[in-house]
Amino acid sequence: MTSRSRINPGELMVSIALATLGIFVIAGTQDISAGGGYSQVGPRAFPYLIGAGLLILGGVLCWQAVSGGWRNVPMDENHEEPDWVAFAILSTGVVLHMASIAWAGFVLASTFLFTLVARGFGSRRLFRDIVVGLVLSTIAFFVFTRGLGLNLPSGLLGGL
Amino acid sequence: METFNALMSGFSVAMTMQNLMLGFIGVTLGTLVGVLPGVGPALTVALLLPATTGFDPTGALIMFAGIYYGAMYGGSTTSILLNTPGESATIMTALEGNMMAKRGRAGPALSTSAIGSFVAGTISVVMLTVVAPLVVDVAIKFGPAEYFAVMILAFVTVSTLLGASMARGLASLFFGLWIGLIGIDGQTGQPRFTMGIPELLDGIDVVVAAVGLFAVGETLYLATYLNKTVDKLEQVKGSIWMSKSDWARSWKPWLRGTFLGFPIGAMPAGGSEIPTFLSYSVEKKLSKHPEEFGKGAIEGVAGPEAANNASSTGTLAMLLTIGLPTSATAAIVLAAFQQYGLQPGPLLFETQPLLVWGLIASMYIGNVLLLILNLPLVGLWIRLLSIPRPLLYGGILIFATLGAYGLRNSWFDLLLLYIIGLIGFLMRRYDIPVAPTIVGMILGPVAEQQLRRALSISQGDMTIFITKPISASILALTAALVIVPIIVKRRQAKRAEAVPEPAAS
Repeated sequence: MTSRSRINPGELMVSIALATLGIFVIAGTQDISAGGGYSQVGPRAFPYLIGAGLLILGGVLCWQAVSGGWRNVPMDENHEEPDWVAFAILSTGVVLHMASIAWAGFVLASTFLFTLVARGFGSRRLFRDIVVGLVLSTIAFFVFTRGLGLNLPSGLLGGL
Repeated sequence: METFNALMSGFSVAMTMQNLMLGFIGVTLGTLVGVLPGVGPALTVALLLPATTGFDPTGALIMFAGIYYGAMYGGSTTSILLNTPGESATIMTALEGNMMAKRGRAGPALSTSAIGSFVAGTISVVMLTVVAPLVVDVAIKFGPAEYFAVMILAFVTVSTLLGASMARGLASLFFGLWIGLIGIDGQTGQPRFTMGIPELLDGIDVVVAAVGLFAVGETLYLATYLNKTVDKLEQVKGSIWMSKSDWARSWKPWLRGTFLGFPIGAMPAGGSEIPTFLSYSVEKKLSKHPEEFGKGAIEGVAGPEAANNASSTGTLAMLLTIGLPTSATAAIVLAAFQQYGLQPGPLLFETQPLLVWGLIASMYIGNVLLLILNLPLVGLWIRLLSIPRPLLYGGILIFATLGAYGLRNSWFDLLLLYIIGLIGFLMRRYDIPVAPTIVGMILGPVAEQQLRRALSISQGDMTIFITKPISASILALTAALVIVPIIVKRRQAKRAEAVPEPAAS
């Protein structure tokens, strides 16, 4: 058993977020109109249950967080040194992909995403990453659009 | 006899060129994603959902089932050679299998898990064939009250039996239930929790949620916390075939694993972790070489591998006969049924017998294909393990964003994907299990529907759930599953206080 004396701020924040979501769900349920008089249980009952559940569980986890920490959390020394730079690079990749896919097209946006993710995981071989990303997204593009009939934007490369 | 005829007509469906092909693609993809760390069957089926809307439902479901049980075969290769279990079901395999590989016995370890998976897979499909009609006979009498009770049981077991903490499991479940609420209420047409965003009227798609939690969340977590760790890939030296003594030591664990795995997988208490743990401890007790356990005992690979395969068939049995998913992957396969307007359950055996029996028959064929894929061809899959991590995860994110964007070409789905990915990252970081969220979001709307139906039949009388014998006993069982472990823990805690245990135990 591991007993921690200090309160883990992350655990506390997640617990509070859960409880807040519970309050939000209960409050939001008031806005759902009860619907016609047909059924005994309208569209509100289930949301109330779920809101209450979230609030209670958030409360329990809050209490656990301030009284010795969440129960049975495995000790993981990997959590000591988070690599927030990698986190930021990956996040940038996903957000830029979202912003660019409609006009740049699937292949270019995905190649860029691939390159950034590889960089986030510590790759230093930029050229290799771009080539692999380009080949992979081109194959994926054709398999999913031509083979499986999915609709994906061709974007800047559309004329080729 | 009736069952036999039904199965034979199933084979005629499964043996068509198209369905054989889709089954082959399914088990190959399953092995592939089972081998690759970071990708699992739940994610793969979710990614293929938008691309298969135009498929014939039978063929698509044969493929999805193939991915599901194929991943169980592939997962063992990774655990044995890399010691990073691709799935929680292969933790036990990693324990003994990796030790065997370290001692130069990687070949027999791979063999016993592939053949054991085949034995277990085939026997458990036979069990499925025999048991399914019997379960259907019972389940056909289920009304909304019974269904609701069974779902409550599934919710509780999925979130409390697996994982370390009941509170965190239930929190994950309720979060999933809330996600399931978002969108238009099916019965009254009311929008709920859409926050005025028109894109949310259709609800949050299973694809976005599953891919966000499994692919984006997992990738963010790995890059942030685990990228410094280095995996050591064991080499396969010598023959992969088993010696006579390996066979003699393997066949009993295979059978025992099968008979543990299938029923436990079929119970809503399901999951494939529990039967593998049980099988491991049973084999350790019964083995003539208990001293080898922890240093690479072949029984410790054979038993759990058989158990996890049998349990995946058991889970599918439950999904087909009652419509109840007891794992994240099964929940996503349920979403696949829903995509085609089908609701698995006893009625499906009557309305779509060819689909159901075709699917069951395809599993006999799939297991044979998997044995070939995973034994003579194992060398091909091993090469996949040397893909550098940056390229692997770059590829995973390409397919993740493709799946989400392909739904309706909306950047909003990519935003949702990232937000859900961040939530998945936090869940992983703070040891909150993800499976209950997935089961909750997919099964939640069905459960709500059954609840409202049951209560409109009883005219609002809540006691309907405890006055009907079947639902009452299921609910009592559920309550026992929650309360008994708490009492046991309290007692143990008290005993531990009274008699301090010796430090080294």
